Parts: sequence; structure tokens; C-alpha cells
Amino acid sequence: MSFLAPLFLMGLAVAAIPVFVHLIQRERKDVIEFPSLMFIRRIPYQSVERRRIHNWWLLALRLAALALIVAAFARPFFKVDPVRAAASALGARDVVILLDRSASMGYGDHWTRAQNEARQIVSGLHGDDRATLVLFERNAEEAVRLTSDAGSLRAAIANAKVSSGSTRFAPALRLAQSLLSRSDRPRKEAYLISDFQRSGWERQEEIRLPEGATIAPVSVAEPATTGVAVTSVNLQRASFSGQERVTISAGISNKGSDAAHPRVSLEIDGRPVAAQDVALTPHGTGSVTFEPVTVAESNMRGVIRAGTDPMPKDNDFYFVLSPSRPMSVLVINGEGADRTAGLYLSTVFELAKAPPMKSEVVTAARLTPALLTGRSLVVLNDTSTLSTVSAELLKSFVERGGGLLIALGDRSPVSGEWPLLPGTLGAPVDRLSVHGGTLGYVDYSHPIFEEFKDPRSGNFSNMRFLKYRGLAPGPTDHVLARYDDGGTALVERKVGTGRVIALTSTLDGSWNDAPTHGMFLPLMHQVARYLAQYQDPEPWHLVGRMLDISAPIGSVVREGQATTRLGAGVVVSPSGAQVTLGSNGVRSIELAEQGFYSVRLSGSGDRRPYEVAVNIDPVESDLTSLPAAEFLAAATNRPAAVQAGQSLEPPAVTPVDLEKKQSIWWFLLVGGLVALFAESVLANRKSRLLGFGTRQGRQAPAAG
Amino acid sequence: MQTHLVPGARFVDPKVLSRVKDLELLARAVVDGFINGLHRAPYFGASIDFAEHRGYVPGDDIRRVDWRLYARTDRYFVKQYEADTNANFAVLLDVSKSMGFASQGVSKLEYAKFLAACLAYLSQRQRDRVGIVTFDEEVVAHVPPSAKHFNILLHTLDQAVAQRQGRLVANLRLMAEHFKRRSIVALISDLYENPEDLLDALKPYSFLGNDLVVFHVLDPAEIEFPYRDASRFQDLETGEEVPVIPEVFAEQYRKMMQEHIESIRSKCAESRIDYVLLNTSKPLDEALFAYLGNRERLMRVR
Repeated sequence: MSFLAPLFLMGLAVAAIPVFVHLIQRERKDVIEFPSLMFIRRIPYQSVERRRIHNWWLLALRLAALALIVAAFARPFFKVDPVRAAASALGARDVVILLDRSASMGYGDHWTRAQNEARQIVSGLHGDDRATLVLFERNAEEAVRLTSDAGSLRAAIANAKVSSGSTRFAPALRLAQSLLSRSDRPRKEAYLISDFQRSGWERQEEIRLPEGATIAPVSVAEPATTGVAVTSVNLQRASFSGQERVTISAGISNKGSDAAHPRVSLEIDGRPVAAQDVALTPHGTGSVTFEPVTVAESNMRGVIRAGTDPMPKDNDFYFVLSPSRPMSVLVINGEGADRTAGLYLSTVFELAKAPPMKSEVVTAARLTPALLTGRSLVVLNDTSTLSTVSAELLKSFVERGGGLLIALGDRSPVSGEWPLLPGTLGAPVDRLSVHGGTLGYVDYSHPIFEEFKDPRSGNFSNMRFLKYRGLAPGPTDHVLARYDDGGTALVERKVGTGRVIALTSTLDGSWNDAPTHGMFLPLMHQVARYLAQYQDPEPWHLVGRMLDISAPIGSVVREGQATTRLGAGVVVSPSGAQVTLGSNGVRSIELAEQGFYSVRLSGSGDRRPYEVAVNIDPVESDLTSLPAAEFLAAATNRPAAVQAGQSLEPPAVTPVDLEKKQSIWWFLLVGGLVALFAESVLANRKSRLLGFGTRQGRQAPAAG
Repeated sequence: MQTHLVPGARFVDPKVLSRVKDLELLARAVVDGFINGLHRAPYFGASIDFAEHRGYVPGDDIRRVDWRLYARTDRYFVKQYEADTNANFAVLLDVSKSMGFASQGVSKLEYAKFLAACLAYLSQRQRDRVGIVTFDEEVVAHVPPSAKHFNILLHTLDQAVAQRQGRLVANLRLMAEHFKRRSIVALISDLYENPEDLLDALKPYSFLGNDLVVFHVLDPAEIEFPYRDASRFQDLETGEEVPVIPEVFAEQYRKMMQEHIESIRSKCAESRIDYVLLNTSKPLDEALFAYLGNRERLMRVR
């Protein structure tokens, strides 16, 4: 037991007063004169009689009353374990531990310290407290959900590892908000353990914690950090002696306040190719350009490495080198068409640069399976009825993922016998009487037109369509454009994994003047890219991006390494984890690790796998931190005081709090007053029993 | 307050007496109230009333030899007569400070003065010679017995005040030397002395042939000890203070006081000394009546 005001205990000395009165001051102050004390002197004054207590109850009550009142003023309280006291005083709590595992936490000992802080919070759980461990970087996930089992929490903390993801606080805080909102405990607490990277917070994100919930920042950030990061790689392609050569440049950034002179090296397929020293000023940037390298094969692994520092993840930059390959297009003209029928188309494809396109013009009768091998797009340019074999070839081609553009004209069959045709073909519609129609409706939300949807990004209304074939689209067909008279101009149908688009007018300029318009070229490039399902090859991706496996498959198909876009295979992550692709497997995977993902498709033999380079977000290299309390105040839109002052320890329970909670003094005071009352009653009763007269009756009997 | 312990007697409350300033008047009022006539002298002397014969011892006046009896018995006897002649009456009055104690109206000293005045008046009416000695730690006043000293005695009584410590035993021993002539000696005191020491001091008076009467004057508070409150008791003479819890002390005190009184009474009886305990709350004439009645019986026995 302790006392809030122990000095008051000195007042216990007053307990000696009754005894003192009994032993010393019992005699009245007035002196009685007596003729002789001859006999009185013979009676021993300091006798046992004198000291004997006769009214033990009376004395005990007086002493007890005094002691209780004095003890009440000393404000006693029981000292208990402050953690347990806090827990019992404030009730059970639900705790959400938000542990930042973004790439920046790999700096120095940040991660170790963060784990220790998390363990400390777990150690602070008592009684009915429950905790949820949330690991977050770009996304947040519950590693352990709402448990009182400290063992599982500690195990999860120990097993957690720094990821390659970038920091984003909002998902973690929203998850905490959600968890705490569902909590029915009287105390709701969240602890955010992070390096509080400035880049992880976007101002517009606001979190609203439930009423009564508190969030305590636990920062492991260091005021000054050092390090060099490779922030970007630039590939300049050039042809030299019939071979493509790539000049590789790397952007280097110095994050420290001291000048740095890192050695930057280039590795291709694991072999060091070149190295250069670079001088970087404090917080400065620089670049390194290496000698051009010849790109002979696809999917070559390139790595730029720059120096060593406390944060190794941003010292390496991964990229993939592949030779640029043109998109192969087969243009099938109708029988009897003149040689200029595909001139516009050939010109369109020859002018394409991203990607370059290579076209070949054949007639329908010459269509063979070999002609379709390696093609990304087939254009049926006003062809007549195809033979069954050709039709099947095309159908098979489209179902495997190929693209088919059908330009309808006079030669096109009257009846819709093509199973690939999106809709039912009708008779030609002549718009000469109105000097040609225009496009009245364009679906700018479609990828084909998406680039033109912004104002002054292109105008299709100037194209005049003098004639077109009527086409009634099927219920599953998607009309991309209509003429001003409502007729269908552009219709899409998806067949298998491929795409078919039908244009109800010709591409040779006979039924319209579209080829003469400036919008024709980019529109046709967009149509070709869309139908070929072309995606720009990216030398690298950032961590966190979803990789659609159709991209590597399409690439493989285009290069002739596979014959189908429904290929099965596996994706091997940088850490060696494998993910199965295919009809029963995933269609896309998240690029969560830094390094190279290898996509191996079945049937590709011993060819190089499709490689995907993944790098951490360059902003993760910027370790500039926000003041933790300020950040939380801004994030939760609450006064900083709510979060300020929070610590890992449970709320400090001061002696004043304990005393106030226990309020023992109140009971002691009441006890003291009761003892005084009982003493009064007992004393009066004793007085009456002793028969004190009026004079003596006023005087309470002594306890002795 | 009047009490009538004796049928037909009328006693005067000491508080009433205390309002009578004239001691002679007081004595007269008291004494005349109950005495009608004279009392006989208790001593043998030259008187016409024959008392008895005794054997002749050398030194006796041969004139007192009863020759007639010698003729009959052939032995020498001396005639003895009742001494009805004038006697000496001396009062030894203790005026020590303890005698000034009064718990209710009349102090022991006042009471003693009344008593002394009454006794002196009584003696004076019998033509006795009266004298007085007052003393505390030493002899304060000495009035030798004389037939003319009654007024001086009264004056001495009037002047007596209790203001000093007392040395009863020492003074008694000192004064015994002055009472060589047989006298009636009345010692009036509160007798706060050891009974053995006191009797040792009184015995010489008897040996010298004096008729000693000890009046033990006590206040009722001294006898009954009626105190209740724990207080500090101060010795009137020494000024010494002692804390006292009457609750505890009273019983023991009363017992000791009774033992003291009984001890003095019995030792006086052994020494043929008259002992009279006087309570200042009791009427004075009642005390005199009791005393004189007692003396009367004693005379007859003799």
C-alpha cells in the first residue's frame, strides 16, 4: 500500500493523545487544596491501577477513529501492476498493429526496430486484449486477425519480411478504421509502426477513425539517411550493320547529404558488360551512359548496379532487352480486285513505327495455313465468299487470339455466311443523294477511339461515306460507330481469344474518302494494334503492377514461338515461387517482387522464356519522413493531441489515478466518523453508568 | 441546619455559629444551652469532701495522716479529698495551615476556635484558670492559665490564623515541659501525624498528671473524600501537588483515614487520654454534649 500524501501520516501522532490524556493529562487543570497529602502520598500514583486501561473499547474506538481519519487524509492506495491496473481500470481493448513492410523499411535496421516495437506492443497485451497484425506497403493485409494469442502474433511478426512494395498509408489506415469500427471493446487502439515516408501519403486521403479510437505513431525513421539509388534506365535503339544496337543510360540519385562516388556497372544476362564511376553531389542526381550493346536475342536480362549502402534494394535496376520485332499483317484482297486495292492499307502499315508493321497482300484463293503463321492481324479487304477451308483457317486463327479486320464492299457476300462476321450482312446503302454520310456516333470509350476522345484530338466528321453495306449486328456484337443515318459503321465481335472488327465501307477510297483524311492513318494503327492485341513491350515494371499474361502470350504468338494464346505455362517469380498459367490457372499475376519474372509457356521448347523485369518504385528511395504525429493528425483529421504523447506502453497509470480509482480514503473517512460516533455513544453510556453528576457529567469518562 | 441527636437538646449549626463574631457570646450561647450547674473537678486536692484513704508514703504531709484509722489499724493512712478547688485549663490549639481547610462553610480552625472558646468559657464559669497555646511550626501565642486570662484567650483565638506549616509532635514535646502543674489540657488539632509519634508526644502530659483531652477536628471532606474528578491535589501546608484519581484513590483513602482515626483512638485509650473526633459539619454543642457526657461517666467510674 502506498500513500498519495504520506506526510499526513505524521498526524498519526495524534493517536497518542488519548493515551497521553489518560496517562498524563487526566487530572483537571484546577488544583484542589487538601489539608494533608499524608495518605494520598502513601497511595502509589504510578501504580498498575493508574496505567491499567479500564475501557478498552473506548480507547480502541478513539485510536481507531483518529487513525482512520489520518489515514484517509494520507490518501492511501494499493500499488498494483500499472499495466494490469490500466487494463482493469480502462477495460479490454482491441489493438491493431500496422506494420510497414515497404521496401524503404529495408534501410539499415529499420525493419529490426519495427519488429521489436511490434513485439513490445504484443507484450503489452493483457487479459482480454486482442490484437490484429496488419502488414502493409502498397496494400494492407491482415497477417493475424483479432487474437489474444501473443504467440501467434509474435510468430507472424518474426515471419514477416520486408517487401519490395512502395509505401501507402491509406489502405492500412482504412483497414484499421474498418477493424476498429467493428470492435465492441471499450478501448480501441491502433499503432502505426513505420518510417513515415512522405511519399506514402496523399493529402486527399482522409481516414475517419471511430469514436474513442486512438492511433499512436511509432516511428523508426532516422533524421539523416544516406544512399545511392538507380532511378531509371533509358534504352536508345539504333540499327547498325543490319543489327539493332541499344545504348543504355542509367539515372543515379544520391539521397544522402554527403557527396558520393559510386561505381555503376551494367550486367547483361548475368555477365558484367561495363562499369563506370559517377560523381554525385549531396542530394544530387547523375547519369551514366554505357557503350551500345547489340541485341541479338529476345528477353535478355539487364541489371544496373550502383554502389552499396544501407538500402540495397534501390541499388539495382532490372530491365529486359529484346530486339524490336514488326507486327505481321496479312491483307487478303478479293478475287478480281486490282492491285491498287490494298495500296492504302500497305501504306498505312509501312508507316507504322510503334510497333513497326509488315504487311503482305494475297488473294483469298492463295490463303494457306502457312500464310497465317506468325501473323498478328489479317485484313479481309472486300473479299468475296471464302472457301470453307479458308474460312476455317481464319476462324481458327481468330480463336487462337488473332485479329481480323473485315472491310465490306461490293464483293462481299450478300448473305451472311461467315461465322466470323459480326452481324448479318445487308444490301449496300447509297448515300450519294446526300453527298455522302458522315459518322454520327463514335464510341470513344473503346480502345480504338480512346486516344481521340479528348477535344482537338481528332475529328471523324469530315469523312464522307458515299456508300456502305448494311449490317445488322448480333446481340453480342458491339457497335463502335454508326453513320449519321443510323447505319452501322464499325462493329466488333470477340471470337475465342481473338477479335473481329467489321467496317461496312471499303478501305480503298472507292466508297468513301476516309483514306484521304489525316485521321485515317492513326485510326487504322489503333485498329491494328487493338486487333493484334499489341502492347508496348516495357523493359521493366514497377512493383505492385498486375501483369496480364495475355501480353507475354501475345508476344510469343507473334514471334511464332507458340501457336495459341490459350497456352498453359508457369510464371517463376524472382524468389523462385511458381504460378501456373492456363485455362485453369491465373490470368494475371501481381508483380510483387523486385527482379525478373520468367513466363514459360508450354510448347515453347527450349526457347528463352518471356522475361518481365520488376523494380521497386523509385520514390521508395526517398526516405524523407513526415513528423509522425503531424501525419496522423492530418490523416485522421483530429487534433494532434489525440495522437500525440501516445507510446508503446499502455496508458501510464499515475498514483493519482490509482488513488482516485480506488478511493480508499472515502471508506476510511466514513469508518473514522462511525468510530467517532460509536465512541460518543459509548462514552455517554459509560458516563451515565458511572453516575456522574451534572458537573462531572459534562466530562466524558477517561478511557483509563 | 439543626440536628437533635440527643432528645431535648438543641444544637447550633456551626455555620450559624460562624456568623457570631463575638467568641464570648458564642461560647455563652453554646454552653448555657446545655449546662445547668457545675461539674465536679476530677482532681484530688485540698477539699472538704473526703474521697478515700491511701497508704502513707514517705514525703506525705504527716498532717494528712488519719490518726484515728492508725489507732484502729496501726497503720498510717493518708486522707484524700475531692479537689473541687480551681483547676488549670489549657487549650493547645493547632493553627497550622491545614487547619484552615474548609470544604463547606466552616474551616477546621474556626470550628476549633468555637470549641476552644466554649471550653474556656465553661472552665471560666467554674472559676478555673484558663490559658491557651497556639502553635503551627512553632508556638505562636502562649497565654498561661489564669483566672483573668479568659478575655486574653478569646483575643488570642480571634487572632489565630492558619498560615504556616505545622509541627505538631515537636511542639507538643516542647510544650509538655510547661505543664508541670496538673491541668486539664485540651489539644485541638487535625492530627496529621503518625499515631505512634503523636502518642509519644502526648504521653508526657499524662505522666505529669495532666488530664489530656484530644479533640480531633476533621472536615467531612477529609473523612469521606467525596471527590470524583481526576485532579491535582495540593497539600495546604507544603504546597506539594499530587495527581489524584479519586475514582481509584477514594476507597483506599477512606480506609487509611479510618485506620488512622482508629489507631489514634485506640492508642489514646491505652494511654487513658480522652479522644474526641469532631466533624466540622456536626453541631458544636452536640460535640460538647457528647464529650462532657462521656467525662461525666468517666468521673463516676473513678
